[in-house]
Amino acid sequence: MWVMLAIAGTAPTRRVEDQAADRLALARMARGEHDALAELYDRHARPVYSLALRILQDRADAEDVVQEAFAQAWAQASRYDVQRGVVAAWLLTLARSRAIDRLRSRRARPDFAGSESAVADVADAAATPDLQLLSAEQVDRVRAALRELPALQRITLELAYYDGLSHAEIAEQLEHPLGTVKTRIRQAMIRLREALTGTK
Amino acid sequence: MATHEDDLDPDIAQALAQSVDQVDPPAALCDRVLRSVGPTTRPRVVSHSTSAFPSWLATAALLAIAAGLSVYSFLLRSRITTLEGELRDAILRADASNTQLAEVRRTATDAQSRIAVLTASDMSRVELAGQAVAPQASGRAFWSRTRGLVFTASNLPALPPGRTYQLWVVTAQAPVSAGLLKPDANGAVNAVFNPPGNIPSATAMAVTIEPDGGVSAPSGAMYLVGPAKGA
Repeated sequence: MWVMLAIAGTAPTRRVEDQAADRLALARMARGEHDALAELYDRHARPVYSLALRILQDRADAEDVVQEAFAQAWAQASRYDVQRGVVAAWLLTLARSRAIDRLRSRRARPDFAGSESAVADVADAAATPDLQLLSAEQVDRVRAALRELPALQRITLELAYYDGLSHAEIAEQLEHPLGTVKTRIRQAMIRLREALTGTK
Repeated sequence: MATHEDDLDPDIAQALAQSVDQVDPPAALCDRVLRSVGPTTRPRVVSHSTSAFPSWLATAALLAIAAGLSVYSFLLRSRITTLEGELRDAILRADASNTQLAEVRRTATDAQSRIAVLTASDMSRVELAGQAVAPQASGRAFWSRTRGLVFTASNLPALPPGRTYQLWVVTAQAPVSAGLLKPDANGAVNAVFNPPGNIPSATAMAVTIEPDGGVSAPSGAMYLVGPAKGA
């Protein structure tokens, strides 16, 4: 993935050291060392909690999700393939999956009933896709690009990512045509990718 | 349920995950996480203060400050969340209002066109009667060569898929299409057309059933027809 190359080329030494420490902590967690989990928590609880809070908008639920995400990391530490991605990115994926599951439970709609296991599988250690962390500079650029997106593009993208809605569900909720929703998400992703790679 | 094709690009998803405003989790959460994976307590770092300032007083002061900041942070965050929700609602309302405004404009323009036709000095009225395929159907046309054509009809049979009704101005030379008709669920039509102004003197008007998109010369069954006198 060409974006990964761009990221790897600009990664500061500190991030590389943290990533090495994360992999070591995961190996120690696999041997049952609780201190390693505490170490991992210290490094990553803040972004994990922040993402859960952004999705759920509820502190108690966000705390539950953080607990579940780190517990899952503990349980799956021995299965995690460190060659496939950055541990911090995996933790964020775990948290997002758990948080979206909770959102769907809240909505308590019949058509969400079968979706929980599917979401959990995405975050499973054995099925983890290549995950990379962004640099602080990239995060700043993405934030700026998000602010500059046309309002309806941003809302549509946020409903897809932070609310975990499918395109059809977004179309139903906003009462907009499905094609319009798909176009907005595609255009928003193009702009964010340009921001990610610094091509705009 | 989110489908695979709805999934966001992993790079973009990661960017969105890292782009949220950062908030410190509560201090007690760490112990809770550690307890959840087994009976353990986190090793505590014991500090030995050499200050003459009583350690309990410093701890109490720090706790008070931390509690104050925590409450302040919580209040700010709640306010931001509320404002974000209000902004989202306002944007969606504005979008809905624009859609309604466009619809109102279309309706107003349509009404103006009808009034212009009905009050035109050269307006002719044509009554159309249902034919054998639709004896209950009837229609009425108000035609001004300078302002346009208002056409109403009722009791037209429902159209099969891929078919449309087409209105014709019949002249001594050949029928000229005035436009396509899509009746509502009750078989009613209420439409405004702008047929060419140079149509020769009309002898009649008629409605036929044709393939979707219409045809250049009538080919299907005739549903309505009526004589045009002086049109």
